[in-house]
Amino acid sequence: MIRLLNANFTRLKKSKIFWLLNIFSIVLALFMIYTGHSNLKQYGDAVEVEQLMLNYSTIIGIVIAIFTSLFLGIEYSDGVMRNKIIIGHKRTNIYLSNLIVTAITSLFTYIIFLGIIAIIGIPLFGSITIPISKLLMLLGCIFVTIIAYSSIFTFIAMLISNKTITAVVSIMLVFGLTMNAMICFNKLEAPKTIQEATMVNGETKIEEVPNPKYLSEIQRKIYQTILDINPAGQMFQIAGRTAPNLKVPPIYSSGIIIVFTGLGLILFNKKELK
Amino acid sequence: MELVLETNNLEKKYKDFKALSNLNINIEKGSIYGLIGKNGAGKTTLIRVICGLQEPTSGTYSIYGVENKSKSISNVRSRMGAIIETPSIIVEMTAKDNLIEQYKLVGMTDYDNIDELLKLVGLENTGKKKAKNFSLGMKQRLGIAISLVGNPDFLILDEPINGLDPQGIIEIRELILKLNKESRITILISSHYLDELSKIATHYGFLDNGTIIEEITSEELMKKMEHKIILKVSNVKEFVKYFEENKITYEVIDNNTINVYGKNNLSKFINDLSKVNLIADDIHITDESLECYYMNLIGGTKND
Repeated sequence: MIRLLNANFTRLKKSKIFWLLNIFSIVLALFMIYTGHSNLKQYGDAVEVEQLMLNYSTIIGIVIAIFTSLFLGIEYSDGVMRNKIIIGHKRTNIYLSNLIVTAITSLFTYIIFLGIIAIIGIPLFGSITIPISKLLMLLGCIFVTIIAYSSIFTFIAMLISNKTITAVVSIMLVFGLTMNAMICFNKLEAPKTIQEATMVNGETKIEEVPNPKYLSEIQRKIYQTILDINPAGQMFQIAGRTAPNLKVPPIYSSGIIIVFTGLGLILFNKKELK
Repeated sequence: MELVLETNNLEKKYKDFKALSNLNINIEKGSIYGLIGKNGAGKTTLIRVICGLQEPTSGTYSIYGVENKSKSISNVRSRMGAIIETPSIIVEMTAKDNLIEQYKLVGMTDYDNIDELLKLVGLENTGKKKAKNFSLGMKQRLGIAISLVGNPDFLILDEPINGLDPQGIIEIRELILKLNKESRITILISSHYLDELSKIATHYGFLDNGTIIEEITSEELMKKMEHKIILKVSNVKEFVKYFEENKITYEVIDNNTINVYGKNNLSKFINDLSKVNLIADDIHITDESLECYYMNLIGGTKND
């Protein structure tokens, strides 16, 4: 396992996609700081540094999907996977070492983003406005969800032998998850009542009426559960700080990690390679 | 006789198609084993199974006496190197970086002999050139260098000269011979280029429809191929009786054709026959190629 990790990290250091990923995170952090600073100067909008720190979580899934499919896709396209098996590495170790590398890289890229925001953002916008423990808890939830994302995309990349198909499936999946999260989020955010304007004797009368789109209790539970299970939904709730219970997303993320890794190991051990 | 690889009624099925069927193969230590078969005969499937990329449907195989179902098969595989169809090269890396990657995979920390390895395969001057810019021959040689990391004593090469120019073919041939003679590496090599294979192999396995139809040493094969005398006769039975009595290797081809093997001196042979009043209508000697031998063996024509 150590040999596999050692080789994987060596390859990672030479990988263009790894460096592009980190450059993207740095540029994104700088862009967010610049936008915040512009808004502060022009409109006097206060910028919460912690919010900048959390925002990246809503799109990190796309970044992980692209990185994992391309980095692990090379294992099939360049024969790396075949080579590992031929020289006697166990399939379980190959799978787990690849998962570890993609998870660590994804976490690393987020930490780089956080570092830039902290180093430039705090002196510029002032210190963090929420308790540090709360921020650490939110970031902890993000990190667990990042590992869950990594386990899903590693599962796909290890079971599909074609790099292009892996990339397409992974990106489509992350967009699907994001769409699903947005739909659920919007439905849950619908207000209980809405204002309705009626004309009575030539006068406009505005009254509060029940919102027909407001979900029933059972529906709310179902949508909330879907949102909690979906990693994109977890990120939406963490970034928006709307999660009813912050302990729930990491539990579901841990479930995703266990299910996808377990299933991935079983299927990869049975997979016929060329 | 120590066997590096031994299979026992190996079978591999893909749905209803049997790619390997009751396949038995024995590869002796120190040999260059030429695996010969037409497209779809099962050569690559056999190699994939041996390399652990695919599981056999039934039957077993042993590498250095360790059966495939044993837990220690992974350890034995560390003594192997292989190139299957295309070499396992990270094309975005240089030759040296590819070797460093392989060193890490096999757990070697001393990179001292990387230059030696690059020199062995003639890639010592590639510098910072990435593998994606290598010629096919260079990629193939780099693939061989990668498979040699960790000093394996069993090398599997699947179609290593496919697509190479004549110079590339000669380079690979010389490298294979060097590895076998100087480093005592046992080599299993499959190729369509039978004449090329006949220049290096010490043993042959002829594969057809997923089964080994003949295993033979190069000496035995040469005996069979080089000294074939084709006799056209009207009295086959009398000739056969004489050959049986004198323990002469022969093969009756049809009602008036007999092939005789192992007779170097044609004039003496004709003289011996005439002494017992056996006169052939026509006699000629042929130097059969490996290709012809193989085609005769599988019952096809050269154009198959």
